[in-house]
Amino acid sequence: MSMFAEVTLSRPLREVLAIVRHVPFRIAVCLIIFGVFVLAAMAPKVLQTHDPLAIDLRSALQSPSIAHWFGTDQLGRDLYSRVVEGAGQSLAIGLGATALSMSFAMAIGGTAALSGGLLDSILSRIIDVLFAIPTLLLALVFVTVFGPSVLTEVVAVGIGTAPGYARMIRGQMLSIKGAGYVEAAKVLGHPFPRIVWRHILPNAMNPLTAMMTIGVGQAIIWASGLAFLGLGVAPPAPEWGALLNAGRNYVIYAWWLEIIPGLAVTAFALSLTIIGRHLQDRLEGQR
Amino acid sequence: MTGSDAVRIVAHPPIVWFARRIFSGVVVVWAAATFAFLIQCVLPGDRAQIIITVTSGNVGPASSAELAAINAEYGFDQPLAVQYGKYILQILHGDLGESYQQHRPVAAIIAEQIGPTIVLAIAALLIAWLLAILTTLFIAGRDNIWSKLLNDTQVFLATVPPYWLATILLVLFAVKLGIFPVIGGNSPIGLVLPTLALALELSGFFGQVVQNEFTRVLEQPFVTSARARGMSDFGVRLRHVLRHAALPGITLSGWALGRLLSGAILIEVVFARQGLGGVLVAATSSRDVPIVSGAVLISAALFALASIIVDLTYRVVDPRIKLT
Amino acid sequence: MPLSNSRSTRRFTGKSNYPARKVAAALVVLLGLSQLVLSIHAQEGLAGSVKRGGVIRYGHFQEPACLFGGWVQQWYLQRQYSDNLVARTEGGNIVPWLAESWSISDDKKVYTFEIKPKVKFTDGTALDAQAIADNINGWLSNDPDLRNPTAAPYLGDRFESATAIAPLRLQVKLKVPFQPLLNVFAQSSQGILSPSALKRGLAVNCENPVGSGPFIVDKWRHGREVTFRRNPDYNSAPATAKHQGPAYVDGITWKFLPDQTVRYGSLITGETDAIYDIPAVAWKDANSRFSVLRHLTGGTPLRLALYTARPPFDDVLVRKAFAYSTDRRAAVDTSFLGSLPFEGNGALSQSSPEYLPELGHSYGYDVRKANQLLDQAGWTERNRNGVRVKNGNPLIVRISYSNAFLKPDGEQALQVIQQQAREAGFDVRLQPTNPADFFAGKNLGPDDYEVVLLYWVAPGAEIFRISWKPDQNGETNRFNPSRYQDLTLWDVIQKAEQELNGAQRTALYQQAERKIVDEAPVIGLTVLDVTLATKPNLKDVWLDRGSVGEPVFYDAHFDDGK
Repeated sequence: MSMFAEVTLSRPLREVLAIVRHVPFRIAVCLIIFGVFVLAAMAPKVLQTHDPLAIDLRSALQSPSIAHWFGTDQLGRDLYSRVVEGAGQSLAIGLGATALSMSFAMAIGGTAALSGGLLDSILSRIIDVLFAIPTLLLALVFVTVFGPSVLTEVVAVGIGTAPGYARMIRGQMLSIKGAGYVEAAKVLGHPFPRIVWRHILPNAMNPLTAMMTIGVGQAIIWASGLAFLGLGVAPPAPEWGALLNAGRNYVIYAWWLEIIPGLAVTAFALSLTIIGRHLQDRLEGQR
Repeated sequence: MTGSDAVRIVAHPPIVWFARRIFSGVVVVWAAATFAFLIQCVLPGDRAQIIITVTSGNVGPASSAELAAINAEYGFDQPLAVQYGKYILQILHGDLGESYQQHRPVAAIIAEQIGPTIVLAIAALLIAWLLAILTTLFIAGRDNIWSKLLNDTQVFLATVPPYWLATILLVLFAVKLGIFPVIGGNSPIGLVLPTLALALELSGFFGQVVQNEFTRVLEQPFVTSARARGMSDFGVRLRHVLRHAALPGITLSGWALGRLLSGAILIEVVFARQGLGGVLVAATSSRDVPIVSGAVLISAALFALASIIVDLTYRVVDPRIKLT
Repeated sequence: MPLSNSRSTRRFTGKSNYPARKVAAALVVLLGLSQLVLSIHAQEGLAGSVKRGGVIRYGHFQEPACLFGGWVQQWYLQRQYSDNLVARTEGGNIVPWLAESWSISDDKKVYTFEIKPKVKFTDGTALDAQAIADNINGWLSNDPDLRNPTAAPYLGDRFESATAIAPLRLQVKLKVPFQPLLNVFAQSSQGILSPSALKRGLAVNCENPVGSGPFIVDKWRHGREVTFRRNPDYNSAPATAKHQGPAYVDGITWKFLPDQTVRYGSLITGETDAIYDIPAVAWKDANSRFSVLRHLTGGTPLRLALYTARPPFDDVLVRKAFAYSTDRRAAVDTSFLGSLPFEGNGALSQSSPEYLPELGHSYGYDVRKANQLLDQAGWTERNRNGVRVKNGNPLIVRISYSNAFLKPDGEQALQVIQQQAREAGFDVRLQPTNPADFFAGKNLGPDDYEVVLLYWVAPGAEIFRISWKPDQNGETNRFNPSRYQDLTLWDVIQKAEQELNGAQRTALYQQAERKIVDEAPVIGLTVLDVTLATKPNLKDVWLDRGSVGEPVFYDAHFDDGK
């Protein structure tokens, strides 16, 4: 997350403002959706209509209504308030996993690209091997070894998605390393660390910013997938994946328990994807 | 598969290129095997205890005599280096160890479950391409409401959680409407819903990539000249979409392998289908590490194989690419 | 609450049922081939009162790792292909099966069984006294291929020998009298398997066990189904069966459908003829559409075992206070939507013959009493969060459980308990434990829990031996998670096991039962049930209530020409 902020701030403010000023309608909608979810994560109490953990046995399994916007679950808990409550944990998992994934990918991919030679070959092989194991399988490995918990979920998804990023970072950095201005800086006798810091890193980060935005949404979907398999965070915490997993058993008779949490995940991931792609276009266009 | 490989081997004749390619595949598999071995060693908790509880179905600490017997049987009491050597040797003989829970060879378990998974994955891959190419034919380079809608649909499909979509498809089309069977089994009609659930997500991805590529192509001079020669717009699209979908298609299909396997695990669980998914999830929740690490090894091998095939196909499809 | 709930259920199905029926016709065409095969078989049926033929498509829940063993899921399968020495009726009487008759010596230590003649295993091996003796000796040996994880803890330290004293006469000798012996022999896990087949080793037998039962294991397609075909020469039905001779149907396709939506959905669309474990949310719907069979298993109920070896639950007052502080009945009623009854008797489940109904209402919801008991026990202060404190320690109760044993509905019930116990000053923390960790012993160590949720199904009170055997000779009883050690209780249990007079034995077991409930090392929650929904045209499926409710398809037949 810190990297995201760093990159945005390192760019001249005026450019950022220019991006903001020409926000198309759909991006504005996505930003609003995103904002609502962030608000839900930071201050769930503001949005909630009920206590998300309060059991009310008399109003169990009610379909959506004025009193309960998203309906209630088997114990009469308000699904809307639970989805709001779950946003925090889900977002934390998504951000944590992406941050971990990126750091890991930077460490391997970046080192490989900058060092070159034998180290590059070895690191590239390691990326290949990790890439050869499907994301979910890699995540299952971590759950098998460490048992299910929030931390495992973050690590599993983080490591699972890292090889893709690592490959991208390596490719990105290699192409920048060969670019004219880097060569020029070398000729000018700038020390290598400074070249990396001033030229290579910022330029490599541009496309990554967009990828990371999309990645957070994807990470949440992967994490919910683990929870959906019953290998995620345990109840009563209303994390979205846990809601999806619990709702699955009721889907024939209480559709809202499955459909609505799924819609929340989709809406959030979709808004991030669209914002991310927009960023991608803008940043690429300006290069 | 990676660009650097291609650069490095530019000067060599095809045979050498091929040998090196095979070698790097073997290295990937070996590294995956080492990884799989390490997983089994870092497993917290006593492996012998896990085996005993999993076998008996009862919970509670086992006596030390029982533990010792299991340790001896599985060789857990030997030094790690010896265990590692044995493990690699076993793999060379096609032996992936024995499942803690099922007491059967992991290789046999995976062999009998991987068939339906591969069928599902390949069916989904084909359907995903079909959908992606069809939509691209219609929307690329056009700027009307339909192309926008289809484009948005692609983005939506690429984002929506596939297991959630699968649950909805199952309940709607099988349980409620009864159009498709609930228990698909291995029949073709039973394959429809799981395939769709898996393919829709992928078709969104493919569609977006192919479309980018294709939009660029449509602006090329040779397309304009084809139009000038009187070729219909649709004819131009069909010819060029197919040709230009081919190359990224091959690369993407190789990349999609992992995605397909991940997706298939989830989809199989939703549809209670036979396949690797059910076995892996059961193995994960009962800490049956040999099965999980066996799957890691197999998928690495599959991936290595697929990437060799991708590279070969590349050379066949487009001989101009002299690996530069 | 039940009112609003049933209303919403009805509304949802009512809407979508009509299109479903219309399209169902299309489905018949699509599935035409398989249906056709079934109907051809049905036509073949001999003219008579009962139609023969057809294959029962049965949707089961969990797939075990082996087709026999100690887990109840394995019993269900074994019931189909093997026969037991004796059978047990619903009322708890032991009746003939492979043994036509038996006698018990005066010192109650020697049992002599007369074995049914001309019975063969389906591999052709003769089923005689020697074969049964080999089985029994194998169960109690240390040979991992033969050892029986159910029989061993029951009989291990009582059993002396099993010998064939004549081709069809079996003698079982005990070291000390053990009345539940025949009950143990009647459980499906003690089905007799072919000794010559057992020589092939565990791996082969797990895949393809050979018994003498009404069905033969045809093929196990892992991850999908086990197919059984009819044993055409079957001649050894138990006295509890409704007919003799071979089964009516041609076979069973035993499908594993772990997802309950798929399982119940397949019954709705007619892709299965019977399914196991009706989801709570579909309980009412199933009762209106299908024939529903239910057996509440005997043995221990699903109960909260309180760790009695250290504070806070070393004090019986605190144990009772915890029981009083929660409305477990309401928790069960809501969470299971009426599909499972509440069980307040922590010692024994209500379908056990020795069950005392008045204990089923013990420790009703009474917060005032809970508070009073806690004050009496010295937990007088409360901290800021309302949690009681004694000597600076808050009253924390960690409940360990695994979703391997608990349906999602049961997890909901625990969440209700968690909320309610707060009022009396308990800080209840749930420790849901994934099967993986549960098997690895996580949250189960001596300092890891105050409460753990477990069960053990059995026909009746003979289960006390397994739960309450005290630690002896440095050997801890790992099936006693309360760690409650009571030698006088153990004395009563042993006396009951040696008492052959039914009434007196029951009285002794009930004495033990009262003591267990009174000391409250375990608190009842609900029972485990076996539920089966069958299509109306599939008749005479029954649950083996004398054992643990295994589905029996031996007498089953399709009715309306299907």
